Amino acid sequence: MTVADVRSIYSRTLPKFEYVEAKTVAEACSLLTKYGGKAKVIAGGTDLLVSMRNRKVTPQYIVNIRTIPNLDYIRYTDVEGLRIGALTTLDSIEGSPIIRERFSIVAHAACQIGQPQIRNWATIGGNLCNATPSADMAPPLIGLGARAKIEDINGERVLPLEEFFVGPGISALRTGEILTEIQIPTPALYTRGVYLKIPARTMIDIAVVGVAVVLTLDSEYANIMDAKIVLGAVAPTPMRARKTEEVIRGKVIEEGLIEKAAQTAAREARPISDVRGSANYRKELVRVLTNGAIRQAIGSTS
Amino acid sequence: MKVELKLVVNGNTYTVYVSPWMTLLDVLRNELQLTGTKSGCNTGECGACTVLIGGKAVKSCLVLAAQVQGREIVTIEGLEGEEGRLHPLQQAFIDHFAVQCGFCTPGMILSAKALLDKNPSPTEEEVRVALSGNLCRCTGYVKIVEAVLAASEERQ
Repeated sequence: MTVADVRSIYSRTLPKFEYVEAKTVAEACSLLTKYGGKAKVIAGGTDLLVSMRNRKVTPQYIVNIRTIPNLDYIRYTDVEGLRIGALTTLDSIEGSPIIRERFSIVAHAACQIGQPQIRNWATIGGNLCNATPSADMAPPLIGLGARAKIEDINGERVLPLEEFFVGPGISALRTGEILTEIQIPTPALYTRGVYLKIPARTMIDIAVVGVAVVLTLDSEYANIMDAKIVLGAVAPTPMRARKTEEVIRGKVIEEGLIEKAAQTAAREARPISDVRGSANYRKELVRVLTNGAIRQAIGSTS
Repeated sequence: MKVELKLVVNGNTYTVYVSPWMTLLDVLRNELQLTGTKSGCNTGECGACTVLIGGKAVKSCLVLAAQVQGREIVTIEGLEGEEGRLHPLQQAFIDHFAVQCGFCTPGMILSAKALLDKNPSPTEEEVRVALSGNLCRCTGYVKIVEAVLAASEERQ
């Protein structure tokens, strides 16, 4: 823990910048290409403005992408699965009937972010593109096998969301690219997902540890056919706990198995110590949350 | 380089010329003299700056003024009825002693209004979640929650 973590001076005013609005994805991409590292994108701005107030970030140009139409949507078809536009607000995700019914872990994660006023304004794209190791939308979406659609002036590419996070605060976006859509395939039958988060103090805080468990069970709910376990805030990026997955994949559900998985997850996690918690505390929380999330996933009905 | 901003606040249309780095909070307080909305932490945690944008509670310290072009905004001043009559929520806060220093109150009332407009009979848990973005250092929240629940009952 460094002094810099604890002592942060937040200025009353924002640093000066030039403001531009993008009306299309192509326009946004060409503006970002033109301004390069001097520009930042704003959608909700709930993270950006805070980091500008303590001068962590001082862009010369801010490109408003909220003015791009048709990036705020939630669409579902059985064939294509779920498609969420990058500008969709967290409260839309939290309240969406289709997400609550078929992808409930995603709604559950969205409702644990920040406070109502933040959720009403912040976007899923922002939560992912900030690429903090603790981003709450990341573990559930990675657990569901989501993909990120990224566009630039030449076209688009689609990337597994797991590969979208490169380092703390660093996403796979290159200069001139923006995230436009998150694609989530329809889960297999008998798939259950749970996301548990421990915040630093209260509901409003960043995760000290976040654990997403997505299990596909058999029709008797006795065996775990497949498992994805994703840990947040305990590594430079959201991480798949692959050894933990192997412990439970293809196994019969029983008491000892769950505890063994939880302990494996705690060992797999690679947290640092910071103002929100020590590494040891975080490992212990991983054990507790993995235990709880697996149990809830097995016991839940959707 | 100033941005021309048209916005509708409490039913009135305003055109102001703002620097891009001004937040909605700055515009409401400094340009429009609507000082009911408070500047607390300025980092989006305390909720004293809460306003309604399109009926949803949002923290105005985290909104660039330029981003609300053409939007409908409601501040605490907008709750007043005919001839200065208080909104039921405002009256409930007074009746239930939910105001001490009053600094959090405008934000609390607007978050409560956003809740009741969407969910007219919330449970206590739902009220607490709806107010989880508004901090109060004076009251301990009990009276505030009581006031919101009372106001919701009165609306029935």
